[in-house]
Amino acid sequence: MSDRPTAFRAVVLEHFKRPKNRGPLEDASVSAEGANPLCGDRIRVQLRIVDGAVADARFTADACAICIAAASVLTERARGMRVDALQVIDRAWVEHALDGAPPPARVKCATLPLDTLHRAAEMAREQSRAP
Amino acid sequence: MSTPNGLIDPSDPRLREEEAVAVATLVSATGSSSKKLGSKMIVGRSGRLLGGVTIGGCVDAQVIEAADAMIARNDGERRRLLAISLDDDEAWEIGLTCGGTLEVMIDRVDPKSSDDPVVVAHQRARALLDSGETVVIATPVESGVPTALAESELAGWSSDDRVFMDRIAPPLTAIIVGAGEIAMSMTHFARELDWRTVVVDGRERYANRERFPDADDVLVGMPSELVARTMTEARSPKNVAIVLVSHDYKYELPILRNILREPVAYIGMLGSRKRGVAVRDLLREEGFTDDELARIHSPIGLDIGGKSSGEVALSIVAELVAVRSGRRP
Repeated sequence: MSDRPTAFRAVVLEHFKRPKNRGPLEDASVSAEGANPLCGDRIRVQLRIVDGAVADARFTADACAICIAAASVLTERARGMRVDALQVIDRAWVEHALDGAPPPARVKCATLPLDTLHRAAEMAREQSRAP
Repeated sequence: MSTPNGLIDPSDPRLREEEAVAVATLVSATGSSSKKLGSKMIVGRSGRLLGGVTIGGCVDAQVIEAADAMIARNDGERRRLLAISLDDDEAWEIGLTCGGTLEVMIDRVDPKSSDDPVVVAHQRARALLDSGETVVIATPVESGVPTALAESELAGWSSDDRVFMDRIAPPLTAIIVGAGEIAMSMTHFARELDWRTVVVDGRERYANRERFPDADDVLVGMPSELVARTMTEARSPKNVAIVLVSHDYKYELPILRNILREPVAYIGMLGSRKRGVAVRDLLREEGFTDDELARIHSPIGLDIGGKSSGEVALSIVAELVAVRSGRRP
């Protein structure tokens, strides 16, 4: 059996130090922001949508290591997916990608980028429905 | 409003009430310290003080009396040089080290006239300061009109007369990241020093007007972006100090990445020496050089043995003053 807390910490640290897709997306189709008012984490998820699919996904964040790591794996996962399919990415997937679950007090750190990605997907769907 | 540095602002309603005012400037202090040189008072009818800072002690009374008389006479006199002799006791009273002779240049100014040479010079000085430039107001002392120059223009300017060079730096903008108690105390101290303060945090319950009545701006959002925006608005990063008192790497790291290569006046970060080393190590891995990382003052503040948030704030403000005056690197 793997040492889950140790593996989780290693994955989080790696993504925190070398996050994927960090930085603004200049030609974003949608941009969603999220915040945790208690701890002050702030994140923006931006998607570029082409023909109903995510052509590019990036994030900007002033946030803790767990939040950055979750945003890193989520934006990596979202690329290439259909917008309608983004909602199927859930907390369990994030925990799997991070090789473990955050401590109970830090669960919101991992779900903040997930919720923000879902909001961005919703915005993209509304945009596609607009006349 | 008239600025604390004594520059005439024609839009100041108190000045609009005046037919004429007198601007008194300390232009020489022989046999003594020069630290008060350039102190200015704006005096209106009946000796009303309308701006600037007082020179101090018995000198003020003589300056106000002379200025008031000059305004009341209205006999065409535009400039008077007032020589004041001080003994040692009187000099101490106004913060000079020993007695001697002070010379105060008093200009009669029509604040409503766009042709008045002092108004013209002060307006240009204010515009230059607003754009982040350091200004020199060059005034031939005996009779000439003042000229406001950006410090960078000074090399091309000369005069054969005795000229008083009045150097005025733009006010410091202190961007304080982390809206805790240290930041609250800092905004009180900064107000006394006429610094502009901008408090930044990601948490609205901390960063709000109730907690920061003395701050010029209280901003809530993504701190690294708010700091970048405030620096752009300040126009010259040389007049910006970044004070990181959030004690949280999630704000410190993105902000440091953005500012370490900017020529800001000061970068300070709250935390122990060990924490400072850890943050520097992380940024070094990202490619920042030792010289760039050495710009971070951490532990922050002068070592004055303070413990409370107010004392820590005082030590930070003191360090900032020391850095600006060249006493600390």
